[in-house]
Amino acid sequence: MTPGGATTTVLLPEVPSLGGLYARGAGLSLARRMRPGPSALPDVEYVVRGVQSSSEHLTDYQHLLGESGSDELPAGFVHVLAFPVATALMVRSDFPLPLVGLVHLANRVTQLRPLRLGDVLDVRATATDLRPHRSGTQVDLVTEVSVDGSVAWRGVSTYLARGVFLAGTVTEPSETFVPPTPTGRWKLDGDVGRRYAAVSGDRNPIHLSALSAKALGFPRAIAHGMYTASRALADVGAGRGDAFEWAAEFVKPVLLPGTVTVRIARSSEGFAFAGWDARSGKPHLTGSVTPLR
Amino acid sequence: MSDTYLNLVNTGFTKKVAKQLGLPQPAPLRRYEPGQPLLQGAVLVLGRGSESDALAGYLSADWDLDVHRHATPGTRYSAVVLALTELTHPDQLAEPVLAAGAVLKSLPKGARVVTVSRASRADDAPAVAAARQGVDGLLRSLAKELRGGSTGNGVVLAADVPVTAPSVVGALRFFLSTKSAFVDGQLLAVDSAAGTLPEDWSAPLAGRVAVVTGAARGIGASIADTLARDGATVVAVDIPAAGEQLVTVANRVHGTALQLDVTADDAGARILEHALQRHGRLDIVVHNAGITRDKLLANMAPDTWDSVLAVNIASQLRINEALLTSGDFTDAPRIVSLASTSGIAGNRGQTNYAASKGGVIGMVRATAPLLEAFGGTANAVAPGFIETEMTARIPAVTRQVARRLNSLQQGGQPVDVAETVAFLASPAAGGVVGRVLRVCGQNLVGQ
Amino acid sequence: MARPTTPTPEVRRAYVLGGNRIPFARAGGPYVRASNQDMLTAAIDGLVARYGLQGERIGEVAAGAVLKHSKDFNLTREAVLGSALSAETPAYDVQQACATGLETVVSLSNKIRLGQLESAIAGGVDSTSDAPIAVSNRLRRALLDLSRAKTVGQKLAAVSKIRPKDLAPVAPNTGEPRTHLSMGEHQALTTAQWEITQAAQDEIALASHQRLAAAYDSGFFDDLVTPFRGLTRDANLRADSSLEKLAKLKPAFGLGLDTPATMTAGNSTPLSDGASTVLLGSADWAAAHDLVPLASVVDAEAGAVDFVHGDDGLLMAPAFAVPRLLARNGLTLADVDLVEIHEAFAATVLTTLAAWESEEFGRTRLGLDGAFGTVDRARLNVHGSSLAAGHPFAATGGRIIATVSKELHRRKEATGAPVRALVSVCAAGGLGLTAILEAA
Repeated sequence: MTPGGATTTVLLPEVPSLGGLYARGAGLSLARRMRPGPSALPDVEYVVRGVQSSSEHLTDYQHLLGESGSDELPAGFVHVLAFPVATALMVRSDFPLPLVGLVHLANRVTQLRPLRLGDVLDVRATATDLRPHRSGTQVDLVTEVSVDGSVAWRGVSTYLARGVFLAGTVTEPSETFVPPTPTGRWKLDGDVGRRYAAVSGDRNPIHLSALSAKALGFPRAIAHGMYTASRALADVGAGRGDAFEWAAEFVKPVLLPGTVTVRIARSSEGFAFAGWDARSGKPHLTGSVTPLR
Repeated sequence: MSDTYLNLVNTGFTKKVAKQLGLPQPAPLRRYEPGQPLLQGAVLVLGRGSESDALAGYLSADWDLDVHRHATPGTRYSAVVLALTELTHPDQLAEPVLAAGAVLKSLPKGARVVTVSRASRADDAPAVAAARQGVDGLLRSLAKELRGGSTGNGVVLAADVPVTAPSVVGALRFFLSTKSAFVDGQLLAVDSAAGTLPEDWSAPLAGRVAVVTGAARGIGASIADTLARDGATVVAVDIPAAGEQLVTVANRVHGTALQLDVTADDAGARILEHALQRHGRLDIVVHNAGITRDKLLANMAPDTWDSVLAVNIASQLRINEALLTSGDFTDAPRIVSLASTSGIAGNRGQTNYAASKGGVIGMVRATAPLLEAFGGTANAVAPGFIETEMTARIPAVTRQVARRLNSLQQGGQPVDVAETVAFLASPAAGGVVGRVLRVCGQNLVGQ
Repeated sequence: MARPTTPTPEVRRAYVLGGNRIPFARAGGPYVRASNQDMLTAAIDGLVARYGLQGERIGEVAAGAVLKHSKDFNLTREAVLGSALSAETPAYDVQQACATGLETVVSLSNKIRLGQLESAIAGGVDSTSDAPIAVSNRLRRALLDLSRAKTVGQKLAAVSKIRPKDLAPVAPNTGEPRTHLSMGEHQALTTAQWEITQAAQDEIALASHQRLAAAYDSGFFDDLVTPFRGLTRDANLRADSSLEKLAKLKPAFGLGLDTPATMTAGNSTPLSDGASTVLLGSADWAAAHDLVPLASVVDAEAGAVDFVHGDDGLLMAPAFAVPRLLARNGLTLADVDLVEIHEAFAATVLTTLAAWESEEFGRTRLGLDGAFGTVDRARLNVHGSSLAAGHPFAATGGRIIATVSKELHRRKEATGAPVRALVSVCAAGGLGLTAILEAA
């Protein structure tokens, strides 16, 4: 389903700030948890036209994630630029799931061609595929970025609302993770959540400090899932090419500070990556980067 | 190494106190610097006869000295040369010697008295032998009277050696100069008319390639410096462990460093190979490497004895043999070996060291004739108390006493030994055959 | 009027004429106060003293350090200015991680081969004792902003960005920037992949110590090493090492793997301080300076592997570079009389040899019909290598080249027959540099 198929279009003048959206989302979430169960997704698309990025913002992002300092916008950076538009949709009063407590389960980005600094981006966001999960309900937020009417980047972010159940059967195979031979290691300082928050605008309290994370049920702050997925993408490097599909599944959150042992290696389709806790052998994320030809 | 006492008695208030107390008053010795004139004033040449005249004429004509044949009242002579080669009876000593005595009080600091005489031999007429041997005794005694850093030394000619032979002139110039600052009361024999005078007295070793063992520090480093100053290309040799200091010396003298244990079997071959390969020739070998392992003989362990003999004499014998049999050490070669006053007079606790240093004296005496056919010589230098890192380790009181036990009432400097080595290594010293020259300030020990 | 055309230069031979290094010290040892510049100057001065080069204007001096202070931006030139060489000797810095020293030899030899230079000094130095300590990135940025700030407000804004934790100094680490694994951890992965046992690694380590000790005892290093700061031999050398002692050491790397950890402090190189130099020249220059050519630098090949994505082990680049190098020169391993493989770890040597001996690796990775070949252990690191000598990163290439060149010359003097050596150095970043030398 494409966002273009929605019947209502909400045209925002600019990309909204995530901080403001969270504040609104927090208020609404309480109300939504009171409901007996989610029903349907709003048939609406959110659009922001004429989005541009600054070189300072891009450079900060590149340095934090380990991307090369080119004028090309890393796929994860485009996510940072575009995703608040999807978040705006998620804080609508008719969005069936609560924003606070949503868990980022997976993210899949299709980069059709490179985007560059100076490109004028149009962003459209829709929500699709509300479906059951063994722990609750999941939904896909689809964001498309186009230049001059032609789609260059498409992201599908899958979120889970725990404890919010839909009717229906859950069919999810739980694969056992066997740690492969590592190729590297990420040593994540305690401030990684704050630093990624600074470049992404995603200041969800669970990422910012042990104190704020505890308030939401985590023993310490946790790393943004997109931070780990974006680092894996950066580690893949130039081998991803100009057009690729980048998919990540977030399994166990990374507590900060922490060490993630990783394998980022060539596979038959392109690159596969995984990050895990070397001591427990439990995975944090798995994923792939598949060049499109 | 500094001599605090020497500095104290020569400066300010402490100088006055020392004088009133009648303490020894060592004078700072003036040493050679390039460009320095041979003498700073007139030279008085005493003695009768044609040889005396010839010598006086040579000093005047060839060295442009202000030569006086009789003392002129009011003149402060910087040097007195007693030309005594033609003595036939002790009665003839009185005139020149007393004439010298008359000017002694007016000599400036650092003055030189040099006798030039002939060696007494068993086949001389008794009166001739008496006169000649008398010079030895008078010179040694005269030297002990001199003060203010002045020295007295003698050149003793073998029969038939002309008074202007290269080694006579060379030795005389050495004794007159500041290069012999710490050589005092010594009589150097000139055995033959061999040797050549340098074209340029400021670079007597020009074109010569010299190897100095134990060159990393102390006396060896000073020898390297001095030979290089005199124009030689220097190969600085020391054990590999001393390599860091050796580099400093080699680079300072623009020579090459050769890290080598002189006790190695192939040390001679490696020295020769390096010198020939890198510098095309080898002319001078200075055996300076030496160690001390002092122990009373009653407590001497075999290792303690052996190591000293191995480094100080056995290595030199082996290296010399390699050089002499190589066929590449034949252009007026020079071997100069470091002996010691301990090897002459003995020293308690140094039986091993003294045996090795006595050995050196015997070695050069027997090696020199083997080199004569090539215009070569082998000689030894016997230092007395020299201010080095080695002597700095002697206990303070013993060191102070040792310093004063000579006519100059102070220890010598490494450069004093080096200057003497440089003289014996020079082409002019070709007539000095298998001799030992002491650099000891006329130490009270021994011969 | 016809303008003259520029002639194409004739390629001639470049020779190793000698070398000098200071003994390698363990980190925190006798060179703890010595800077890279101090050590490089000492190594150059020792070379100058050995070969009588005082005041000589050498064509070019190239050296480098892996761990470098920013004040050492012109390290080699500064060392030259402090040395006994002519102050008119040009110099430049090179950095290729642990291959720095060998790269200076290769690049300067090529300049000599082309006639650009008549003489050169190659070298390298590293101090892990005097390693640079940097301020954190955030503090550095804030301080730079502060220096550019014009108004009080801008200055306050810059200062206000500094957090207490930003003030903590940042020490360099030997971890790979992209993987954040240490070199030892990387090698441990490769070691496990090739199933190298601790016993096999210990044997390499023992041979290294025994051979280096024997070389010292025989005086082999008398004209290759000049003492420094009271150190006369490589501090890491353990002449009395034994397989029993080595076997008792606890594993130091590879602990997080599910395969047995086999790499110990005994079969891995320690952090070291030291410097080395190599004198290079044309035949004419050597003759004019009464110097004997020891060996000629014939050819070199660099390689690199994609360790970031797990294709190959971090230190395996020479396994690829050497087959290319030998093939280009029409040689096989059997044609090489001396093989010098830098012992970053004993396992590095063994995994390289194992790869060359593997049929599968030969076919699938090297594109050969079968295994590349076998190295006769009697020809391998005949005077010991980094496990015994230590490994001040950039200084290792010069150590190997000077040592192997002297040995090549010695063998040719003894037999008159041509003698050839292969030199292989692995380096951080998945790099490798290899070279062929021939006795002159």
